[in-house]
Amino acid sequence: MSSILTEEPGPRGQRRIQIANWISVAAIIALLAYAIWRFWQAGEFEAERYEQLIAFGEEWPQFVISGLGYTIRAAVTAMVLATIIGFAMALGRLSLNPVTRWTSRIYVEFFRSIPVLLFILFAFLALQDLGLGFITPFWGLVIGLTAYNSAVLAEIFRAGILSLDKGQSEAASAIGLSYWQSMRLVILPQAVRRMTPAIVAQLATLTKDTSLGFVIGYQEVLRRSQVMGEGSPRNVLQAYFFAAVLYFIVVYGLSRVARRLERQQRKKYGAKRIEVAGGPEDLDAMGEEVDEDETREREPAVSR
Amino acid sequence: MDFIGFLIEFAPRYLNGFQRYVSLALFSFVIAFVIGVIIASFRVSPIPPLQRFGTAYVSVFRNTPLLVLLFLFFFGGPKLGLTFSPYATTVLVLGLYTGAYLGETIRSGINAVSKGQAEAARAIGLGFTQVLGFIVVPQALRTVVGPIGNLFIANAKNTALGLTIGYAELTSVAQTLANREARTVEAYLSAAFIYATSLLIVGGLFGLIEKQVAIKR
Repeated sequence: MSSILTEEPGPRGQRRIQIANWISVAAIIALLAYAIWRFWQAGEFEAERYEQLIAFGEEWPQFVISGLGYTIRAAVTAMVLATIIGFAMALGRLSLNPVTRWTSRIYVEFFRSIPVLLFILFAFLALQDLGLGFITPFWGLVIGLTAYNSAVLAEIFRAGILSLDKGQSEAASAIGLSYWQSMRLVILPQAVRRMTPAIVAQLATLTKDTSLGFVIGYQEVLRRSQVMGEGSPRNVLQAYFFAAVLYFIVVYGLSRVARRLERQQRKKYGAKRIEVAGGPEDLDAMGEEVDEDETREREPAVSR
Repeated sequence: MDFIGFLIEFAPRYLNGFQRYVSLALFSFVIAFVIGVIIASFRVSPIPPLQRFGTAYVSVFRNTPLLVLLFLFFFGGPKLGLTFSPYATTVLVLGLYTGAYLGETIRSGINAVSKGQAEAARAIGLGFTQVLGFIVVPQALRTVVGPIGNLFIANAKNTALGLTIGYAELTSVAQTLANREARTVEAYLSAAFIYATSLLIVGGLFGLIEKQVAIKR
């Protein structure tokens, strides 16, 4: 599509594109220069504000970077728990028993509509009041993230299972496999393959959300960078920027993996992308280039 | 555990929080929508610097936690001479953040519009902006009504982060009441109930709109 919009501009069009090129480069540079100048004026580029950050081997960068360990620990624990509960809920939603079906449906619909932050506050503060005194900030964060992500993952699993041809489960029962046998031997091996990109993308989202542990005082990257920033010398902005870079590296990495997996699958099986509300919105999104292959694949078979 | 009773008892407080939550959700989404259309057009434009800017924008805003962005703007804005209230900062950052997602969604919609449409538009002599504005984007938007609805809901839920920089929206009201009344469970359940009901209704509405206008591809 994007190629058609601009295909082979004439001489005048080319000239205009040239001019627009220069103007936009100038505008972008001017914006950056202005921002840098203002930050300079505000003294944000003073060397002492950065010494803390680049003194590797010293205390502070270590302190913040080791927060990454806490971030990852919370993300992995929540992901494992959310996967288990999400899978159970997906099976529940596909169950033939109406009570199970509706219970899991209500769970999924409600839990998807509540902010993660509210879950985290509830898990940390309200559950303590309910007599679960063992809830540390770590468990508050993990329970909050699990509650929300299990609902999203349930939808991803359900979409994955439903995306298989009905013939698969019919054939499985025709050769005498029980429900669990056909799940384990026929349905899941195929469904999991299709779901992997969406699951990895959800892991990226979940990793971003671990930053909400900040609110309940969990010692992850953001909280630790705040501690660094508010100490002396005061460099809050640099500290948060440092945190942003750390998060970016992890989350961008995961997004790239998700995207690569998705492409592989599309090439191999022509599998459709699994999209669910509240889940990763558009996996293609991370890409630098729109390759023409992709564009062509999305063309409808019949044009109107 | 009687959260309905609690909700009724503190109805004015919750109503106030609800209004603030709605206002954050709506205004930030308007900004996000404008940014989304602009970023999507940048990314399909023939101008390389704008394409790169669009790509960089999307990667940065999608791969950094919203809370971190919020803090960077809240503390960095004043250094740039842009001092906004917590409300305005929340609206702006939510708009910028959701705008990156919307930009990608709209771009995927643009890629799904059949080539013949743009070819025909070019054949009758429309320029790039005209082709995009009159022909392609309107159809693209109709293709992605569903995903746009999901983003609206995601954005509405993200308004809860306003509390971290001191804006008293719905979650913050719940937090205050939980502390003051020492009835944490009821206070948070009430807020959760309001979020869930309002967003389930919004989800249903988007479903109806989708049925009316969506182009199946």
